[in-house]
Amino acid sequence: MAKLILLVDDDRDFLEQNRGVLESLGFRVACATDPQTALDSPERPDLVVSDLMMKNLDSGFSLARAVKSRWAGTPVILVTAVSSQRGFDFNPRTREDLAAMNADAFFDKPVDPAVLIAKVRELLG
Amino acid sequence: MSGEAVRILVVDDELGVREGCRKILTAEGYEPTVAEDGQAGWEAFQARPGYSVLLVDLMMPRMTGLELMKRVREADEDVLPIIITAHATIDTAVEGTKQGAYSYIPKPFTPDELLLAIKNGLERRALTIEARRLREERERRLLEVAAERSKSNTIIKCMTDGILVINTEQLVVLRNDAATRILPGTQTVPFPLASLACAEVTSLIDEVLNSASGPTIMSREVTLAESTYMVNVSQVIEPGGETSGAVAVFRDITALKKLETAKSMFVSMVAHEVKNPIAAAEGWLNLVQGGLSRQDPQEERRMIERALIRLRTLRTLVTELLNITAIETGNFTLRRSPVEVGKLAAEAVEANRDKSREKNIQLTLTGAGGGQSLADRDALLMVLSNLIDNAIKYTPDGGHVGVHVAKDGLFVKVTVKDDGIGMTPAEKDKIFDEFYRAKNDFTANVPGTGLGLSLVKRLTEMHHGRVSVDSSPGDGSEFTLYLPLS
Repeated sequence: MAKLILLVDDDRDFLEQNRGVLESLGFRVACATDPQTALDSPERPDLVVSDLMMKNLDSGFSLARAVKSRWAGTPVILVTAVSSQRGFDFNPRTREDLAAMNADAFFDKPVDPAVLIAKVRELLG
Repeated sequence: MSGEAVRILVVDDELGVREGCRKILTAEGYEPTVAEDGQAGWEAFQARPGYSVLLVDLMMPRMTGLELMKRVREADEDVLPIIITAHATIDTAVEGTKQGAYSYIPKPFTPDELLLAIKNGLERRALTIEARRLREERERRLLEVAAERSKSNTIIKCMTDGILVINTEQLVVLRNDAATRILPGTQTVPFPLASLACAEVTSLIDEVLNSASGPTIMSREVTLAESTYMVNVSQVIEPGGETSGAVAVFRDITALKKLETAKSMFVSMVAHEVKNPIAAAEGWLNLVQGGLSRQDPQEERRMIERALIRLRTLRTLVTELLNITAIETGNFTLRRSPVEVGKLAAEAVEANRDKSREKNIQLTLTGAGGGQSLADRDALLMVLSNLIDNAIKYTPDGGHVGVHVAKDGLFVKVTVKDDGIGMTPAEKDKIFDEFYRAKNDFTANVPGTGLGLSLVKRLTEMHHGRVSVDSSPGDGSEFTLYLPLS
C-alpha cells in the first residue's frame, strides 16, 4: 500500500494545495484541521506535515512532540507563515535546533512544490 | 528722610510756651501744630494723624498730658513723646517713662535745649523704626523659608514617583512615601543603603556614587513585586565639583510595559493575518505555474479563483485595519445626516443577496421602517452589511438569515438572526475583539479577517448606539443593534 502522509493545518487552502501535490506523486494523504484530530488518526502515518500556529500559538511544536512519542520514527515537517513571534525568531539554523523542535524539516509558507517533493522523497526514502 | 516737613504736635496750656515753640520749630523747618490742652491735643491728633513728635505738658485741664500720651501711643507707637513740665519730679518722670516718654525738658528751656531734645528724639525714633523694619523683614523671610521648605517637603512627600537621597557615606538620608511603598522597610532615615532589600537598586546607586567621570546619570528597569519601575539615579554635584551623594527616582512604568506588550502582540497578529492569505494565494499560483493543474483549464481557473478569494480577504483586512486605526486616532469623522434605517437595511440585504443565493440561504427583511437615525450613511451601511455577511458566513447551506427593523422606545432596533452554528459563551465574550475568530471544523472553511465585528462595535458606539449578541452552540445567533432615533 502507498505510504500515508498526514497533513495538519487550520487553513483549508494549504491542505488542498499540498494534498494535490502529494497525491500526484502517488502517496495516500489524510487531512486534519487541528492537532487532536491528527493524533486520533487510526492509521500510523509515515510522515506528518503540520502548520506551526493553529489554535494555540505553539500547537505545531506540541503536535511534533506528540507525534514523536506516539509514532516513534515518523518524520515531521513543520511549516509556518510567520517564523517569529514578538521579536523572538524561532527559525531553526542547525540540525540541533530542528531536533529540539522534534522536526525533520522546517519551511516558510508557501512551500515551493519542488522543495516539498524533494524533502518528502528524502525523508521517506 | 523725605522732603516732607517733620510734624510736631505741641500741647501746653501756657500760651507763651505754645507760641514760643511754634516760632522756634517753624524757624527750624519743622511743621508744628499747637493745642491748648489734652483734649484739644487729642482732637488735633485724630483730625490729622502722622506726627513724629508730641511735645506735651503734664498738668493741663480737661485731659492730662499722661492721658494724652497714652492715647496717642496706642494709636501710633511711632510718635515720640517729649514731656515739657515745670513740675519735674522723680514720680512724674517715672510715670512719664512708663507711658513711653522719650525725655524731659524742664521749663523754662532755651530754644537750643528744645531743638537738641527734638533732634535726639528724632534720631532715636528713626533708629527704632529701622530696627523694627529689619526685624519684621527678617521674620517675613523666616516665614517664607519655612513655607518654601514645607512646600518642597509636601511636594516630595506627595509625589507618585519614589525618591531616595543617598549621601556619600552610603546612608539613605531622605525617602518619600512612594519610595517606602515601592521598597518596603521600617527603617527611619538615615539608614544604610545596604539595608534596602533590592540588590539591583543598591548596586546601581553604588555605581553612580563611585563614578569618577563627572556628573553621572544611570537608568535601569527594575521589577519589584508585580510592577516595573524605571529607576533613574543621578549624582548630586556640589558647586565645588565634588560628589555629595545621589538621588534615585522610581517611576512606575508597568502600564507602559503592558501597552508595549499589547502593541507587539498586535503587530505579530497582524503580520500573521496578512502573511497567511498571501502565502495561501501564492501557493495556488505556484501550482498553476508549476503545471500541477495538469494543464486542465477548469482546474487552473479553480486555483486562480481560490487565490483571488484570499487576496480579496486580504484587501478587506487592510481596509478594515485602516478604518480601525482611523477610529482609534480620532481621524474617522462621521458625516451624519438623517438616515432611514429600514431603507439602509434593505440596501445591505440586497448587497448580500448573491452570497445568500450561493449558499441557498433564505435571506429576509421584515418590520416596518423603524425610523430615522442621525448617522453616517456609509459607516452604517458597513455595520449592517457586516452583520448580514457574518450571519451568512456562519450559517450552513440551506439555512435562514432574517433581518428585522423596528422602533423600540427612543431607538431603532435592528436584529440579524440566523439558524447557523451559534457560539459558546466563551466565544460570545470575544466575538467583538480584534482578530478573534471562532475556530472549529465549520469556521475553518470560512474566510474572514477577524476585524469585521470589531469594526461593527466601534462604528455603532460612534453613533451612540449599542450592539450585542445572543447565541448558543447549534441554536444560531441573534445580533441586536440599537441606534438612537433622530
